Amino acid sequence: MANTLLSLAEKTFIVHGVDDNYRTDGRNRSEYRPMEVETKVLPHTSGSARLRLANTDILVGVKAEVDTPYPDNPNEGKLEFFVDCSANATPAFEGKGGDNLGTEISNTLTLAYQSSHVLDLTTLCILPQQKCWKLYVDVLILQCDGNLFDAVALAVKAALYSAQIPKVTTATLDGGKADIQLSDDPFDCVKLDVGSFPVLVTLCKNFTFIQIGENCVVDPTSEEEECSAASIVVAVMPNGRITSVVKTGYGSLQPSTLVKTLELAKDIGIKLNAGIMNALKEEDELGSQREIFGFLK
Amino acid sequence: MSGQDLVSDQGLRVDGRRANELRQIRVRMGVFGQSDGSAYLEQGNTKVLAAVYGPHQPRGGGRGGNRSGTGIINCQYSMAVFSFSAGERKKRPRGDRKTQETSLQLRRAIEAIVQVELYPRSQIDVFVEVLQSDGSDYCAAVNAATLALIDAGIPIKDYSVGCTATIASMGASEEVDSKDETGSGTGIVDANHMEECTGATTLTVVALPGAPGSNYESDTDNSGLVVVAQGTGARLHLSRLEGLRQRALQGCRDTRVILDQAVRFHLTTHDPHFI
Amino acid sequence: MNDEDMIRVRLAVHRTNTNLSNGDHGMPRYYTPGEEVCSQPDFMRGHGTYMDDNDTLRASVAGVLEKVNKLISVKPLKARYQGEIGDVIVGRITELQQKRWKVDTNSKLDSALLLSSVNLPGGELRRRSAEDEQTMRRYLQEGDLICAEVQNVFADGSLSLHTRVLKYGKLSQGILLKVPPSLIKRKKVHFHNLLIGANLILGNNGYVWIGASIHNTDRTEGGFAQDLSRIPQQDREMCARLRNCILALARSNILLTDTSVIYAYDESTKYSANELLQPEAALDVALLTQQRLGERID
Repeated sequence: MANTLLSLAEKTFIVHGVDDNYRTDGRNRSEYRPMEVETKVLPHTSGSARLRLANTDILVGVKAEVDTPYPDNPNEGKLEFFVDCSANATPAFEGKGGDNLGTEISNTLTLAYQSSHVLDLTTLCILPQQKCWKLYVDVLILQCDGNLFDAVALAVKAALYSAQIPKVTTATLDGGKADIQLSDDPFDCVKLDVGSFPVLVTLCKNFTFIQIGENCVVDPTSEEEECSAASIVVAVMPNGRITSVVKTGYGSLQPSTLVKTLELAKDIGIKLNAGIMNALKEEDELGSQREIFGFLK
Repeated sequence: MSGQDLVSDQGLRVDGRRANELRQIRVRMGVFGQSDGSAYLEQGNTKVLAAVYGPHQPRGGGRGGNRSGTGIINCQYSMAVFSFSAGERKKRPRGDRKTQETSLQLRRAIEAIVQVELYPRSQIDVFVEVLQSDGSDYCAAVNAATLALIDAGIPIKDYSVGCTATIASMGASEEVDSKDETGSGTGIVDANHMEECTGATTLTVVALPGAPGSNYESDTDNSGLVVVAQGTGARLHLSRLEGLRQRALQGCRDTRVILDQAVRFHLTTHDPHFI
Repeated sequence: MNDEDMIRVRLAVHRTNTNLSNGDHGMPRYYTPGEEVCSQPDFMRGHGTYMDDNDTLRASVAGVLEKVNKLISVKPLKARYQGEIGDVIVGRITELQQKRWKVDTNSKLDSALLLSSVNLPGGELRRRSAEDEQTMRRYLQEGDLICAEVQNVFADGSLSLHTRVLKYGKLSQGILLKVPPSLIKRKKVHFHNLLIGANLILGNNGYVWIGASIHNTDRTEGGFAQDLSRIPQQDREMCARLRNCILALARSNILLTDTSVIYAYDESTKYSANELLQPEAALDVALLTQQRLGERID
């Protein structure tokens, strides 16, 4: 993402390591670096989460607003993603520098959540043709250390899990105009069912110089990303179904390799989903008395 | 709520503070590992993150342009899309006129303290991201940027501290007797978003308050070096300006004490040589 | 799917505190920016201080006071690298210019490596021809890592490097780490051929190099040849373990010397290399290293 310069010798070392299934930091090809998640870090939003994957730091805020449905889909709500690469991560993201990357990630997220198996948008409808919920999912990338797609998708899932949408107490049509009352009680909310929300798994392939066949690497560091010519980003639901596949990079792949890669992505995606859900449930059990650290500790 | 009611009869504001009381400030320095310096600052519910890169070689476009003998300071002020506490979300984090203007103001506040003559041809980048906005955003940004510069080890002359002083609009456009009874200024200090919005006038001041016990305090007119001042809101009669200014400056001095304590705490917990 | 396969995500409430300092030792006197340092007029001012309008000496960074004879300076906790003549550094080539390379050394300006300051193939005293200039790229390209010594400091603070001694030159296979320069003490020896077999270079500028090639690189070519053969698994493991140990020490603010690194390496053998990535294991290793270092001094 941000250009890390590497010498030929360093690249050779990294690539040989991948081939030997022993990377520069001791991990094997399918291991993730330590991750940490915290939800409800932004109390003024409907839902929020902060996820750290080694040095990669992602902050997500979810806001729910009442909006009018699209005329083509009068019974459905809306879901919109926005990814902002903050200049805090690297000076290259100043001004419009991070816009391309941000658009790429938000498009990938939109693709991943498009399927109706993932999120049934009709659950966000309040009054057909008149009012619906629009969920804005805003991602802020604070630090980059490789593997942005996975980290962003995990943070988004955690934020949506923590999101609390006010309950609609009455929704009537009053002479053609919609009249909606929302519950005043801040604790009277509806939570989203994230049971089928996907996570993104990035698989880095096609390391340069060496034909190493079907070796692909999960959770690449930014140095490893620099050495690879192609990556595949797969959106995997908790039940193993794949909702989107995106290939990035200039390298090319054999079709058989692609199939094997998707199998691997499915296995890893299931484990990743299980991991984040366990963490989120564990956090829930700590209850509302949990101390929220945010950036302070 | 009419403008008169910013401070109740008992002298308490909406959130229980007195007129000259600051909100709780919480600080953490060295939040990020990849930037040279970083700081996170909370002033009440306003939450701000600052990161500093540099001094480093100007990359890309800056290369040919910087012929001057001193360093350049590059600032960016950005508000996260979800930062607004009340109401709709912001459409774009930066690039609109207000944030660009605030970036310029931030640069002025930083240029006043950084000794650019020490860094010929170098560049220092200061990036501020507002995570939650609840009044005094710009001041929190300046404070966070100062702390981030200290974390990066960049020499500065003094803390650049920002503070606001707000006055109710009722009576703001009337003349007042120049002899103020209390002698410590008028208006409320460090207003939150709601207080700023209730039709009042706000004076924002960035000052270099000086260390306690320094010459600045012994000056009889108690000035402190003011580097940026801006006013927003409704009309204000000139006679009221001095009172507001004194309030804001005192707020700056109080804030500096708190920031200094935070820096000392950070030093005691992170010094490598005494482990 | 058994337990080892599961991917674990932590919670913030369980975050480990990497801060190892305890208040038992006498805390030194800290100065913060704007604070008056000294009221006596006959002191010379060094780094980290400035004279204000009233001729008082004030600190300009937050740190500890250092008094060397009449020179007063304040040393900050963390800062970009300030070069001094004789320092050993590790740097990366960023640009090729007329007759010199520009090197990124984590300082306020890129350093310069002049063509006349490197050993070219063909012997020490060869004249630099026009051909050498055109083919600079053959020797060092953008992205290459070098190990060099600071020869000179220019007026604007930028450094001039040289690699004229045989032990300096282009670096081959290995891992580069970036740590704060304040964690690297100025010592006589910066090249460490650790008993375990890897070679470690602790650059004064905070760039640490873990070299994997164990073969003695052929330096007759002026140190520009690179060994790109496959590194055996054992050496690779060692490099990974060293890398994780050094990062663990840096995260807990422990000074990096060959002693502390070797202690850390010893203490880390109870974990596998990838387990050291976990914050708990890293903290454990740092704590044990700190204890061993403490025992050594007393």
